[in-house]
Amino acid sequence: MGNEESPQITRRATRLSSSTPVTSNEVETEKITKPYKLTVNDFVFGGEKLCFDDLLSSFPARGNQIRELLRLLGPVNSPMLPLFVYGDPSTGKTSTILQIFRHLNRPFVYASCLTCYSLQILFESVLDQLLLHKKNAANGYSSAKRCVKPSDFVNFLRGDLTSVIEKLKSLKKVGSSKSAGKPNGNMLYLIFDNLELIREWDKSSTALSFMFNLYDVLKMHEVGLIFISNTSPDTYYSNMGYTEHVPVYFPEYTEDDLRQILMRNQPNRKLYSSFLDVVLRPFCRTTRRVDELSTAFSPLFRKYCEPLSDLASVPNEEMKRRLFSHFRPHIAPSLNEIFWVPSKSSTEAETNKDTTRKGSTRKSEVGDHFAQIDFHMSTSAKYLLISAFLASRNPATLDASLFDSTGGSDSRKRKRKASEKSIEQKEVAEQELLMKGPGTFPLERLLAIFQCITSAADSFDEDEHENDDLRAGGDGGLMSDVLLQLSSLCNANFIIKGGSCPLEGSTRYRSTVSEDLALKVARSLKFPLPNYLYRR
Amino acid sequence: MGIENLAEKAQILIRSRLCSPNFIFKPLSDSSDSNYSKLKFIISSSIMEACNNSILLLGPRGSGKVAVLELVLSDLLEEYPDTITVIRLNGLLHSEDNSALKEIARQLCMEHHLLFSKMASFDDNSQFMIAMLRECGLAHKTVIFTLDEFDLFAQGKQRLLYSLLDAMQTVTSQAVVVGVSCRLDADQLLEKRVRSRFSHRKLLFLPPSKEDVQRLLEHILSLPMDSSLACDYAAEFNEKLQSILADKRFKEIISNYLNSNSTTNHLLRFLFIAISNMELKSGFLSLENFKAALSSIQRHPKQECIKDCSILELYILVCMKRLEVREQNSYNFSSVMKEYKSVHDSFPTSDYYAQNVCLRAFEHLLQRELICFTDNRGHSQSIEFRQVKLVVSYAELQEGLKSYRSCPAILLKLIDR
Repeated sequence: MGNEESPQITRRATRLSSSTPVTSNEVETEKITKPYKLTVNDFVFGGEKLCFDDLLSSFPARGNQIRELLRLLGPVNSPMLPLFVYGDPSTGKTSTILQIFRHLNRPFVYASCLTCYSLQILFESVLDQLLLHKKNAANGYSSAKRCVKPSDFVNFLRGDLTSVIEKLKSLKKVGSSKSAGKPNGNMLYLIFDNLELIREWDKSSTALSFMFNLYDVLKMHEVGLIFISNTSPDTYYSNMGYTEHVPVYFPEYTEDDLRQILMRNQPNRKLYSSFLDVVLRPFCRTTRRVDELSTAFSPLFRKYCEPLSDLASVPNEEMKRRLFSHFRPHIAPSLNEIFWVPSKSSTEAETNKDTTRKGSTRKSEVGDHFAQIDFHMSTSAKYLLISAFLASRNPATLDASLFDSTGGSDSRKRKRKASEKSIEQKEVAEQELLMKGPGTFPLERLLAIFQCITSAADSFDEDEHENDDLRAGGDGGLMSDVLLQLSSLCNANFIIKGGSCPLEGSTRYRSTVSEDLALKVARSLKFPLPNYLYRR
Repeated sequence: MGIENLAEKAQILIRSRLCSPNFIFKPLSDSSDSNYSKLKFIISSSIMEACNNSILLLGPRGSGKVAVLELVLSDLLEEYPDTITVIRLNGLLHSEDNSALKEIARQLCMEHHLLFSKMASFDDNSQFMIAMLRECGLAHKTVIFTLDEFDLFAQGKQRLLYSLLDAMQTVTSQAVVVGVSCRLDADQLLEKRVRSRFSHRKLLFLPPSKEDVQRLLEHILSLPMDSSLACDYAAEFNEKLQSILADKRFKEIISNYLNSNSTTNHLLRFLFIAISNMELKSGFLSLENFKAALSSIQRHPKQECIKDCSILELYILVCMKRLEVREQNSYNFSSVMKEYKSVHDSFPTSDYYAQNVCLRAFEHLLQRELICFTDNRGHSQSIEFRQVKLVVSYAELQEGLKSYRSCPAILLKLIDR
């Protein structure tokens, strides 16, 4: 939180380099700078002073909340009941509070339950900040005190808080407190962020009750507590009850607020504003979160500006219409891919394609590129994935007829006219399929299907290629390391371990890929997947 | 001094009053049959007669049990200096027997200027405690144990309670055990052997009556005449305050607010927000401050959540409601998608989005806890197939849709069926 110079990285002394003498080639002098020592001034946010108008203008839609928080924090050195700030994620809670503290220049200690993922780490982080202890190589990246239990935490906290407050009081006596960088006031504020994650920790009920009752347990006037959470206070269930805190609510942004926020820091405001006129309303119907919208808008804005030669130009009406008609076919497909994060190779491929084909319609291109999978998998892994999908999708009794020894599929089924009752039964069965999801299968069945498919694939390949490198290892170079591939597919969450069968005790697996992905994978292998799917 | 300065000082004074329980509960303890005087009588009589005693303070959270106890203890420490040792334990921190005895030993050592060793075992600590009790008893010093969150000590084997109460009975000690709990049946939680050693004295802390509330408001909000604030400012402030307190609308606000939770702490929170709303320019409290405080503390979190939803998320909620109305009690994301598709087929809207967009909206709803999973263990299924249920009620959903800005008319029509 303070301004620090990054210490020069000293060369790590490996055993090799310390055993050999330093030759004249290695002339670099090792500068060991003294690590930066923290002082009481580091309790404040630091940096330039922020006046109230700047604070309001940097958070365009949060004027009411800022004023409410400033009222509740009150004048300097006034005691405070604990605050509970809540709202949706990415509504600006953390940044608003930290900037308010920068404006007020009051000392605070910040700990987030996201980075401190257990109670011990949370306690030690707070205590380290109070003791002005910095983890560096000298002390082996350890904390100042080891603190596991809440009782120890309270004892240490009382002691450390009193010493910090003494330091703050003595600081006031020394010089004028109006100089920049010196903390304002005798009160210290503890800010706990991401409180809703505590519910998922071990012993969460006692941990939550402890955090909520912290103010009553401490009984110190000079400490202010602020809790920030992504969910509302009624989602914290406790059968013990706790004293409620003063709630401050951060509502989600409206469309006008979003427009103001997205327009900030744009080099060409008029152009961006005309872009927002087109896209903001349809996209706001799916989501109103700033982070999702801004990541969706940046590639779209690039596409919008494509026909423009000069990006700094101010568009007039005619140009706006032209840009809109060029941009329009992209809106609908991008709405459906709003949460699609493009991988690096696909964006490069797109730019390559752009330079070659300029005038043609883009729809087919967009369609192609979604038809390919954009991650790399080995061939045997792809076959294993397809076999897992088939095993989950088809009932086990059909395996014999679908996968006979020749590897072909038997699609000759006698078709009878569907009666009323069977249609109803089909609907009920479909409903059940929707509800149950993919089925589980044991390992043996997966390997059997895999063997059938790869032998079929080999027979296809045989006709096409004479010398196939894959068959270097005799029958099925594809069979090598199947179990290893299986475990890497499990790690990638394509296959998950379902419940185990109570009679046999062996684990069963379940495939989690969607039909689209399986079809894409099959297409890349030129494998006729639809022939093997069980259709009712 | 400008009026802003005076107003700021007044604000700081009232805020510090609201945050210190000692100040708040002092007037409540002046009458002779209040809990304060009863508790003081019990403890002081056991000090003077050199006997053991135990008592339970029970009442809802925020009724001032610990505050009254602290008042009594501070008064007794003034009256009988050097004859009382206070040991404070909290059930949240010290419910484990090991840590509780360690804390007792630590506090005893601090009190009597002895060296405390962190490595002492459970047996060492318990022997130390018994020895200290005997010594204090021989020296006619009383040890007062305050056990906060007493019901948490009564979980598990109750070793600490048994050893404490047993020591009191067998050794020549003078000890008083005061238990504080929010559970009114805290003494039923005790084991038979512990309960037999525990005297069944209970003090109930009831929420304040209407007259008490009035007196409390005056006590907290009136500025004192003899402080550093200018006299005429304080007088004017108190006058304005009296007129507000006598106003019928204010009485209505207060009684409305206390209908939900009438403990003192709840009232103090309301007053805290009201005093923070005070305009420093005018320098006096007004009725609007109290009204604004009421609206900011009485929130409807589920309504706020619904207002924060995007339109696609509202569609998903309405589809789930329709599935429930059709008495399909268990459904998952795939069946909700099927319903969504059928809605779109019958009323063609522009709001038909692909599966992954809907899945992300579904995840947002899960995060906001408007819907939740019905099974706790199921991480063996992907998110589309786990069963979900609605956590908002039908009335809340309807209310939320009606107050939603630019809600599509079709949603209102669907929810009304």
